[in-house]
Amino acid sequence: MIELEGIAKTYAGTGPAAAVLKGVSFVIRPGEYVAVMGASGTGKSTLMNVLGCLDKPTGGRYRLDGADTGALDDDALAHLRNRKIGFVFQQFHLLERASATQNVLLPLIYAAEYPEDAKDRARRALEAVGLADRADYTPSKLSGGQQQRVAIARALILDPAIILADEPTGNLDRRSGLEVLAIFQRLHRQGRTIVIVTHDAAVAEHAQRVIVLKEGAVAEDRAVAQSRDAEAELAALPKEASP
Amino acid sequence: MSLPRVAAEGIRALAAHKLRTFFMMAGTIVGIAALVVIMAVGKGAEQEVLKRVNSFGTHLIKINAGGGKGYTKPQAGIATLKPEDAEAIRAAISPRCDLVVSVAQKHNIPIKAGDRQTQGDVFAVDSDWHEAMPWPAKEGEGVTAEDMATMAHVAVLGTGLSKALLGDESPVGGDIQINNIRFHVKGLLEHHDVSPGGDDENNRAVIPLTTGLRRVFNQTYLTYIRVRMKDVRDVPAAAEEIRQLLHERHHITPPEQDDFSVVTAGEVAEAARGISGTLTALLAALAGLGLLVGGIVMMNILLVSVTARTKEIGLRRALGATRRAIFVQFLAESIAVTVVGAALGAAIGWGVVEALHRFASVRVLVSWEPFALAGTFALGVGLVFGVQPARRAARLSPIDAIRK
Repeated sequence: MIELEGIAKTYAGTGPAAAVLKGVSFVIRPGEYVAVMGASGTGKSTLMNVLGCLDKPTGGRYRLDGADTGALDDDALAHLRNRKIGFVFQQFHLLERASATQNVLLPLIYAAEYPEDAKDRARRALEAVGLADRADYTPSKLSGGQQQRVAIARALILDPAIILADEPTGNLDRRSGLEVLAIFQRLHRQGRTIVIVTHDAAVAEHAQRVIVLKEGAVAEDRAVAQSRDAEAELAALPKEASP
Repeated sequence: MSLPRVAAEGIRALAAHKLRTFFMMAGTIVGIAALVVIMAVGKGAEQEVLKRVNSFGTHLIKINAGGGKGYTKPQAGIATLKPEDAEAIRAAISPRCDLVVSVAQKHNIPIKAGDRQTQGDVFAVDSDWHEAMPWPAKEGEGVTAEDMATMAHVAVLGTGLSKALLGDESPVGGDIQINNIRFHVKGLLEHHDVSPGGDDENNRAVIPLTTGLRRVFNQTYLTYIRVRMKDVRDVPAAAEEIRQLLHERHHITPPEQDDFSVVTAGEVAEAARGISGTLTALLAALAGLGLLVGGIVMMNILLVSVTARTKEIGLRRALGATRRAIFVQFLAESIAVTVVGAALGAAIGWGVVEALHRFASVRVLVSWEPFALAGTFALGVGLVFGVQPARRAARLSPIDAIRK
C-alpha cells in the first residue's frame, strides 16, 4: 500500500528554488497495476525516486505499507528499499562480471538475514522470468530483453510489496519490450503490486490505472477501460526466431 | 546485513578485475618481497659476522697499531707498536694470560717461486701464532721458537699463495723468494674459507717475526699484538689494563687520540651487530617506504575505481545496501589487496632468498619477523589507505549514482 499525501519536492539551487513536485497525492492499493505517465520534465523521475525511497520529499507525507518514510533515517530507508521495493531500471543495472544467478542474489546480501534457500530462490525467480537455462550467463552474453528479465528476477527475489519499474522497456526492441510487459501482467495476475513509470502511452495502456503528471502535479488519474494484453500482442507479431 | 557476504562482494570484484587488482597489488608485492629478502640477508650477514667474531676467539685481546674505535683493521705502516710493548704487556698480565703473540704484516709483497711470480701478504709472527689464531699447518710444520731464535729463512704458505705459485703441487720442501730474499718452505697452512666480503686469508706467507722485521720489512714496529687469556672473564679487565699500560708507555693522556686500539671479541660483536643492524633497519625502512608508496598507488586506483563504479554503488544502495555495507565492501577490497599482495610478496621474497642461498651462496637467515612484520604492515596499509576510497564510495547518493 502506497499513500502519497501532498508530496512536494523543491530543489534549492543557486538560483530561485525549483519546485519539481507540487503536492502530489494518490493511493495505490495492494495488487494494483499502475502506470505513472508524463513527458520529461514533469517530475516523473523525481516521483519515482520518492516512491523508491531513494529520495526524500521536501513536503507532504509518504507512507509505504503503513510506515511513514519521512521519519526514517538513511539506514532505515535502505532496509525499507531492500524489504519492500523491487526495482527495475531502464538501463537494467546488472553487475557486468557476475552471472545471472549472482545478480539475482544481490539483494539477499543486504537482507537482515541471508536465507538458507537462496540458491533455490534465485532459481525460482529466474524460472518466473523464463531464464532458468541462462542462470550462469553473464549479462554480456544475454540480449537486452533477457538482461531486463534478469533484473525483474532480482526485483522478485525478496518478495517485495511493490515492483517499481522506471521505463523498463525504454532500451528494448518491441518484441523484448512486450515480453517484459507480459511478465509484469503475469506477476500482476499473481497478485503483485506494480508501478511503472513511463512516458510511453502504449506502455501505460498495459496497466489497470494511469496517473498522468503535468508540471509536478497529478493531471489525470483514471482506470484503463480495456488494458492491452501483451501476450496477445506478442502472438500477433510477425514470426521470427526468438532470441 | 551479512558482513562476510558484503566483504565477499568486494573480493569478488577483485577477482573479476584481475588486471586492476594486479596493479593495486604490485606495490605491496614488491615491498614485502624486498622486506623479506633484506631481512633474511641482513640477518644472515649478522650471523656470519658474529660467527667470524667468535672465531676470532672470545679469550683474545687484540692490540692494533693505529687508533680508532670498534673493529678496525690493523693498519700497516704505523710505527708506534713495538716488540717491547708486547714484552711489557706479557709482564703486566701474566700469569692470567697464556699467550702473547706479536705480528708484523705487509700486503702485496712480490713473491716468486722459480719463474712464477705473484703478490701476497707477508705475516711475520711469533712461534705461538699458530696456536693463538689458532691456525695450524696441515702439511709440514709451522714457525717454531728455534726459527725465531736463529732468524731462520723459513716460510709457511697459505693455500691460495701456494696455488698461485705452484698450482696443485705441494710447496713443502721447496724454495720461494720474498722480496727477492730466499725462503725455505717448511709448511702449508690449513685452508680458510673466503669471507662473504671477499677477504681471502689464504694468499699469505707466514715467516718468523725476527726474520721478518730485520730482513724483509726492515722495521722495528709491529702491526698488532694478540693476547690470549686463560679465563674469558678476565678479558675486559685485562683489556683495560693494557690500554692504561700503553697510554703510559706511549705518553698519551686522554682525550688525546690513542695511537693503538684494543679490541676484544665482545666489543667487536657489539660493533658488528650495531653496524649490520643499522644497515638492515635502513634497508627495511626503505622497503617500508616502498610499501607505503604501494599503498598510496592502491588508494588512487581504488579512488578512480569508485568513480568508475558509481553506477554499481548506486545500484547496491537502491537494492538495500546501507552506507556501512558499501564502506565495508570497499575496505574489504583494499585489505584483501594488501594482505594477498603481502602473501604473494612473502612467497616471492622467500623464493628469492632460497635462490640467493642456493645459487649465489649468500648466507641468509629466514626468521618469522619479516613475515609477522609484513602481515601487520599490509593489514595496516590496507586499512589506512582503504578508508578514504571506502568513505567516498559510501557517501555517494543512490540517485546520483543510478542516474544515467
